[in-house]
Amino acid sequence: MTRLMRSSTLTWAFGYVLLGIAALAAFAVPLWYAWNVTIFAGREEILRDDAQRLADVFAHDGVAALTAHISQRVGMQIAGERTLLLTDAAYRPLAGNLALWPQGIPAASGMHAVMADLAGQPTHTLLVQTTLPGGYHLLVGRDLSRFLPLERRFTWGLFAAVSFLFVVGVGGAILLRRKMLARVQGIRRTVSAIMQGDLRQRLPTVKSGDEFDTLAQTLNGMLDHIEYLIAGISNVSNSIAHDLRTPLAELRSRLEELATTRPPPGETFAEIDAAVADVDRVMRIFSALLRLAEIDSGARRSGFVRVDAAAVAAEVVEFYEPAAEQKGVLFSFHSEGVAAVAGDPVLLAQAVSNLIDNSLKSVPAAGAISVRVARRADGAVEIAVADNGPGIAAADRPKATERFFRGDASRGSPGVGLGLSIVDAVAKLHGGVLQLLDNHPGLLAQMVLPITAARSSR
Amino acid sequence: MKILIVEDNERVARFVTKGLREAGHTVEHADNGRDGLFLAASEPHDVIVMDRMLPGNVDGLAIIEALRRSGNRTPILILSALNDVDERIRGLRSGGDDYLTKPFAFGELLARVDALGRRGVDAGAERTLQVGDLRMDLLSRRVTRGSRGISLQPREFKLLEYLMRHANQVVTRTMMLEAVWDYNFDPQTNVVDVHISKLRQKIELEGETALVRTVRNAGYMLSEHD
Repeated sequence: MTRLMRSSTLTWAFGYVLLGIAALAAFAVPLWYAWNVTIFAGREEILRDDAQRLADVFAHDGVAALTAHISQRVGMQIAGERTLLLTDAAYRPLAGNLALWPQGIPAASGMHAVMADLAGQPTHTLLVQTTLPGGYHLLVGRDLSRFLPLERRFTWGLFAAVSFLFVVGVGGAILLRRKMLARVQGIRRTVSAIMQGDLRQRLPTVKSGDEFDTLAQTLNGMLDHIEYLIAGISNVSNSIAHDLRTPLAELRSRLEELATTRPPPGETFAEIDAAVADVDRVMRIFSALLRLAEIDSGARRSGFVRVDAAAVAAEVVEFYEPAAEQKGVLFSFHSEGVAAVAGDPVLLAQAVSNLIDNSLKSVPAAGAISVRVARRADGAVEIAVADNGPGIAAADRPKATERFFRGDASRGSPGVGLGLSIVDAVAKLHGGVLQLLDNHPGLLAQMVLPITAARSSR
Repeated sequence: MKILIVEDNERVARFVTKGLREAGHTVEHADNGRDGLFLAASEPHDVIVMDRMLPGNVDGLAIIEALRRSGNRTPILILSALNDVDERIRGLRSGGDDYLTKPFAFGELLARVDALGRRGVDAGAERTLQVGDLRMDLLSRRVTRGSRGISLQPREFKLLEYLMRHANQVVTRTMMLEAVWDYNFDPQTNVVDVHISKLRQKIELEGETALVRTVRNAGYMLSEHD
């Protein structure tokens, strides 16, 4: 029972039922008041007027005329609408639709609401008794019992409406609650299964688009992201294991060989230098991974400032210019003035640097690299680095931003395979995307950063 | 120079101490925060090398703050395994002068210690810098070698200024990246070397003595002597 009371659906339904009853009461009470006060008062006035009119007929034309008038009215009226009786001083009836002067009427003239014995049965009647000159008695009345069925019907109708409201309200609430409980239970079951480790479970959705469906879809989106992150973590651990194992294995065998063969000092020192280089490579992978983790955590967003992406890119281009020149690569930069975004200048610089670095490594001597910063029609800032190197095969492009992915073209060149992952992560941190396109030939890498940067992303 | 090392890892401390002694410095070593603070406060040092994570959950930054509060202005190089940009900023805000991430190459540490120790001596209000017959006028931004004028790009000027301010010291690629370009990431390719070689072409013509020396496993040194 407590659980029943705690259910929000029931509380709401109960509230609505009460509200409905209150509305009905608000409707019925004025009606009742109007009936009892306004109409009743009007009725008394009509009776009084009627009695006065009959008295006027008597005053002008005498008793014979009044008798004729009453007889005519009784003959014309539909049964019982008006009770009329004219008697002489001894209460003998002269005209009217009553056979006898009723019992229980006070002798005084005026208005009386009494139980009068009309036609043999006591009836609740409103009467106006007038004593006319000459001792004639005039009775004008109205049978109140004629309205009883109407009043009864009104009361019953009101009661039926309240009952209907109550039954439908409570019944509906119980049905609704059962349905909602079923869906909540469904969500709970799925979530428990997920907590137990089955990350592929998803909440059931029906295509009704109701609130529960929206909630389920949002939760499913969250679950997709969690699954993606977890997959990312295990993917990274595997990649770390693989990519660190290779240089570590090399290092180990190098040192072990030194220890067992004990070569002459000159050779030993060369081997030690090579070992230090191995360690440096491991360290480079490490710091790149840490940097990625730092970016992915989103913590850097707190340090976002207004950055001119064009100026950042221009500086990086200037930084790489001598290197491009040395390789004989045609290096060009183009921007359309200030391209402000909210972002982290150091990370943006690193992203552009990684893109240029990639291109520099892949283009042949006398190749070309062009860097372009532009504001698109929708306000987003686009930083594009295009080269005419071998590019990335279309099939490999979706994988190119994965950690430790190395295309066939870059195998054997220096680098740890994290460059594009970092660019991708930086773009995502800024609420944007990294697009890898075909430059016919070569690679066109575009970072698109929305103007509203970051806060709404993910 | 007299250098204090506060570092609890015995192997790292021994390696650094030995290296610095071989480079001609006097080295003291404390393996915990309390001794470190005591040594730093009781006698003057030219440079302090401070590890961040010390035994008993002592953060090296707390010791640095304590030293700075007591008015000690000795240049401090922070050693840390934490490489977040935020951690670096925290380290420098607490009163540290430079930040080096573990693991590090000894050459990098030595270069940074040298740079810190020298900073007190010629911290710069001078208007000209001179190394041999290479002169740099900081106000008119003119560079001459002997009687020959050298025209430099703004960034080349900044790079040469940094090298001249640290003349006769080894400067590493990372130090130049941080000081000249303000980049604290690893650009992967040898871009800094290319910048140096371009600068060399401008300041060392045929027949002139070489000024920029490559120091193996470390970086570069600007010096008039071979």
